[in-house]
This record gives sequence, C-alpha cells and structure tokens, in this order.
Amino acid sequence: MPRQPLTVGIIANPASGRDLRRLTANAGLFSSTDKVSVIQRLLAAFGATGVERVIMPTDMTGIAAAVLKNSHGRQARQGHWPHVEFLDLALRQTVEDTRQAARWMAQREVTLIAVLGGDGTHKAVASEVGDIPLLTLSTGTNNAFPELREATSAGLAGGLYASGRLPAEVALRRNKRLVVRDAARGLEAIALVDVAVSSLPFIGARAISRGSDLAEVFVTFAEPQSIGLSALCGLWLPVSRQSPQGAWMRLDPHAPQALLTPLAPGLLQGCGVLDAQLLQPGIAHSPWLPSGTLALDGEREIEFNAHDRPTVTLDACGPLSIDVPAALAHAAQQRLLAIGREHPLHPLMPQDTLGE
Amino acid sequence: MSTSLSADQLLHAYQVMRTIRVFEERLHVEFATGEIPGFVHLYAGEEASAAGVMAHLGDADFIASTHRGHGHCIAKGVDVYGMMAEIYGKKTGVCQGKGGSMHIADMEKGMLGANGIVGAGAPLAVGAALAAKLKGTDGVGVAFFGDGGSNEGAVFEAMNMASVWNLPCIFVAENNGYAEATASNWSVACDHIADRAAGFGMPGVTVDGFDFFAVHEAAGAAIERARAGEGPSLIEVKLTRYYGHFEGDAQTYRAADEVKNFRERSDCLMQFRERSTRAGLVQASQLDQIDGEVDLLIENAVRKAKSDPKPSAADLLTDVYVAYP
Repeated sequence: MPRQPLTVGIIANPASGRDLRRLTANAGLFSSTDKVSVIQRLLAAFGATGVERVIMPTDMTGIAAAVLKNSHGRQARQGHWPHVEFLDLALRQTVEDTRQAARWMAQREVTLIAVLGGDGTHKAVASEVGDIPLLTLSTGTNNAFPELREATSAGLAGGLYASGRLPAEVALRRNKRLVVRDAARGLEAIALVDVAVSSLPFIGARAISRGSDLAEVFVTFAEPQSIGLSALCGLWLPVSRQSPQGAWMRLDPHAPQALLTPLAPGLLQGCGVLDAQLLQPGIAHSPWLPSGTLALDGEREIEFNAHDRPTVTLDACGPLSIDVPAALAHAAQQRLLAIGREHPLHPLMPQDTLGE
Repeated sequence: MSTSLSADQLLHAYQVMRTIRVFEERLHVEFATGEIPGFVHLYAGEEASAAGVMAHLGDADFIASTHRGHGHCIAKGVDVYGMMAEIYGKKTGVCQGKGGSMHIADMEKGMLGANGIVGAGAPLAVGAALAAKLKGTDGVGVAFFGDGGSNEGAVFEAMNMASVWNLPCIFVAENNGYAEATASNWSVACDHIADRAAGFGMPGVTVDGFDFFAVHEAAGAAIERARAGEGPSLIEVKLTRYYGHFEGDAQTYRAADEVKNFRERSDCLMQFRERSTRAGLVQASQLDQIDGEVDLLIENAVRKAKSDPKPSAADLLTDVYVAYP
C-alpha cells in the first residue's frame, strides 16, 4: 500500500473579526486578504518542513479562491508549498461550515489542523476533532485561546511536529475546557476560555460590551495580559493555562469593590466584584441568575429562562494544541531546521527565478 | 447602547414585521392578477432589518430606501393604506398615485423615498445627515442599499463625504445574496461589504439579518454613535428575500430549496416569536392578536385601494416643479 502523503488541515473562519465591537469598541478588521496572507505564510512554512498536502475548506468570501490561484504561482513554486486540496462543502455561511470542515479533516486523519479565528472558531473546531492537535492563530476580536503569533514561525513549529521531528511531550499541550450542559434541553456545549452569565435576555449581536450586563464569569485560565471576559479573572485572580483549576467571579455593579477591565479592544469597563474563587474541576455550577444568556468564549449563544437548568463544569478534556515556543525552543536546541545539501531551499540549490 | 426592549417595544417590533410580511405576501398574490401597474420588488424575508433599524428612529430622522422599499416605508410609519393605494396607482395613494411602488415617499415621516436607481438613496441620506448637522438637531440620515448597490459609485461617494464631514449617517447594506440575478459572492470583490467601511475611515460590522435582536443592537450602537457626533458607520445585514428580484422573476439562479430552507430554519418572525415568548417578555396570545389585527388592516387596505379612483388627466399638471397655466 502506498504511503499516504503527510497531510495537515487549515481552517480559516471567513466571518471572524467583523462583529459589533467595531461600533462599541475600537476592534480592528481582519480582512479576507489578510487571512489569505496568513494561510500562505503557513503554506510556506509547512512546505519547508516536509508537509506534502494541505486540506482546506472552500468558502464564500474568496479566501480559498485566492489561495488556489496563488498556489499555482511563482511564490508557491519557489517556496515548495504543499499540494493544496479543497473540501467541497455545501456552504451555509454559519459556524456549521467550520464544524463540517473539521469533521471531514478528522475523517481524513490529518496530523494537525491550523485554525485562523478567534476563541469561538477554535472552540468550534475543538468540538469536532478529538485529539488532533490545533495550531492556533488569532484572527478574531478578543482572543485569549489563540496567542498572537507570526504565522510563519507557528507554521514551522506545526510542520516540524507533523513531520514527526518533535516529540508529542514537547510540542503538545493539553487544554482545559468548560462544559455547559442542560440535560432537559439536550444541550451540551464547550468553551475553551470563558463562560459568562449575562442578564441580557437575547443573543442579539452576541458580544458583551458593558460590564453591567455581566453577572458571573467562569474561566479555564486567565492571564493578566489577556483581553475580553477572561481579563476580569486575569486581573483579580489569575490562573495559568497549566493549572488544573480555573476561576470564577460573581459580578454586580453595586458590589463594594470594582475592577477596571479591558472587555474589548479599547473598551475599559468598571465591573463590580462580589466574589471570586478558584474553580475546581468536575463540579457542576448553576448560574446565579434565573434567566438571561450564557456567553461562550465571548459570544452570547444560549438563552435560558426560569425553567431551564444549565450548569457549567470545568474539566481537563479540552483540545491538544501546539506549544509553539516550546516546540521551537526544542527545534533550536536540536538544530532541527539545519538543512542538508538535498533540501530544495539549501543556498546551493538552483532557485526558480523571476521570468522562468 | 439601547439593548433593553420593553414589552411594548417588542410588541411594536413584531407588529411592524408582521405588517410587512402580510403586506408583501398579499401583493405577491394580487400582482399575479395583473391589476397592479408597474413593477413590485417584495421585501418579505428581510423584515428584521427594517424593524431593527427603524426601532431607533423618529419622524425627525430621515431614511432613503431602495427599489425594495415597502418594508422600510412601513417600519418608518408610512400609512399602510396610503401605500397600498399608491401601489395600485390610485389618487388616494401617498404620492397621489403618480409614483407607484418604487417612489413611495412621505416627508412628514422622514421617508425620503423608495428609489428606482440602484445606490441612488445613499447621497440623499448624506444630504439629510448634513441638514441635521447644520441645523443642530440630533437627527440622523440612514441609507439602505443592497449588495448590488454596494458596488455603485454613488454609494462610495456618499460614504466618503459622510466620513469627511463626520455626518450622522448610517449606511445599511442589506445583503440578500443577489443583485437581481447576480450572486454577491461573485460580484462584491472584497466579499464582506462591511470591510469597505475601512476604506472610508468608518467602522463596519456584519449582523445576522434574520435576527431582529442582532440588527436592533447593532443599529442602536451605530445610531448612538451618529447622534453623539462620532460620525458614520456601515452595517452589513445578511439576509435573504423570499421572492424574486421582481414579481415574475423565475429565479433560475437559486437552488430549488434555498428559500424553503431559510423559511424553515431562520425566518425572522418565527425566531422572534419563539425567543420573545420563551424569555417570558411577551405572551403568544398577544402576538396572535397582532396577527389578527394585521390581517384585517391589509385586507381593508387592499379592498379600499382597489375601489379608489385613479388620478385624472388634470392631475398630471399638479405636484410638479413648474406651474402650468
């Protein structure tokens, strides 16, 4: 049986970076053109580290089209990009497209999946792919799960792992997650960073832009330098990604203490802090509010009323992700990017030049 | 930001959306009889956009609409019977029967007009926004246009001018996926209409146009910015139209079950009813009552419009800029 080409997936959320926070805060735009450029940086790094095939979904916003066009160009040839193959999805232009692409990639047994998006996009992919590692890249609005990172170096770390040159215990990190359940409604959903309980009755435009709309926040981890809902805990009761615990805060505008929090880019809100505690894994917590909405990784997703019984539980069963700094530190130590005379990018190799 | 909605506001929003739906579905039936002159372009399916934006506006705020303007007119408060009579070309219409579907206007309601020219409403809304700024009112101008209109030079010029002059103007791009029969994901080069805002130095957002609450929240934030002197914004509302570009369009460019899927999964009225009653903010019986009232309103409007007189030959020389002897 012939050897299967070394294959990785790339999923870019075409919709990320365009929500209400451009109006309520100073959030920036991540255009389709920018996403194409990030994907192409990944392709260059994957090609250079031995990945032979990349699978991508199609989309309605020109991302796949631009990558397809450029994958036949001089830059792709000179950079020895992997062969790019597109999944023929029946597009709905909702998060279901991301989920479907992730499921198909899992069936194709890709070695890893690079994800371009915010916390919400990563959560959607993580929900579908079991233990296939994620190479996380931030192209959303408030991102805590994917760290801000240059795609070329992230791609090198991913490519080295995919090609078997980095041991899993060095390159991979197991993440925590929060599971939201409501058995009576048949509901089970996950969050990778935070679950917020809001008094707002409707999902509406999804983002939460006012501190006074928040009643509680549960987090898997909270770094002091983060932005978004997890920054509340990050600046009051920080918890690392590695800790087995999470954190929880109860908020009320009338609380005796208040905390200045960056809820979105350029948006600082004072939030009244009633209580804050570490969150132990495996314990199901019910929201204090009888009705409202649950925001998962920054976006209101679940409306609940007085008859519903949603719970939030921390566990250690989140996705695996590539630890880029650790992976590249190991690569440097072992000189994994040292290349031989046979490597197509070796300085003595004849190069494809302009006009040929 | 105006995110909280009282029970009265919720009931009003439902009444607006329901009126638009029944108005348009009735026109779909009536147009097929051949009794209505000219063209009609139906807004059914897009109701949450008009209702969500107009919930924040008063009579002192001006909107400029499109060829698909009935929903904007109804949501802005134009008289439903007067509109129906206008569409039937009757003297009792809001423009005395001389305008028809694509020219319905009502200045007292801040409705600058539907518009037969794609993208031509945007400069009018900028003019209204400039007037509000010069007069020192807290009024805003709102331009509605479609994905086809978003490719028009007049819209670009309007966005540029609104931004340069920091005008209280909101650009609402109702992206229903097709400019007549041309798919927007083919014809809009940057693919996300909201992304065009960056080129004019204003914020741009995309919202789910099947969800009244999402449109209401985004429009509230944009209009609040405009009233506070922070300048224009662009909102791309993603939705679908339930009927053809015009009545009689065979829609060979759409998948056979496309509209059926949207109606079953995403319909704005269905979502509104489910979610507002589930939240316990309004009762299903209150919505049922509105359904009954709206049916009666539209039935009466059609019956009266059909029996009203047409304009006479002498009416041709009235309501024009030049006085004839």
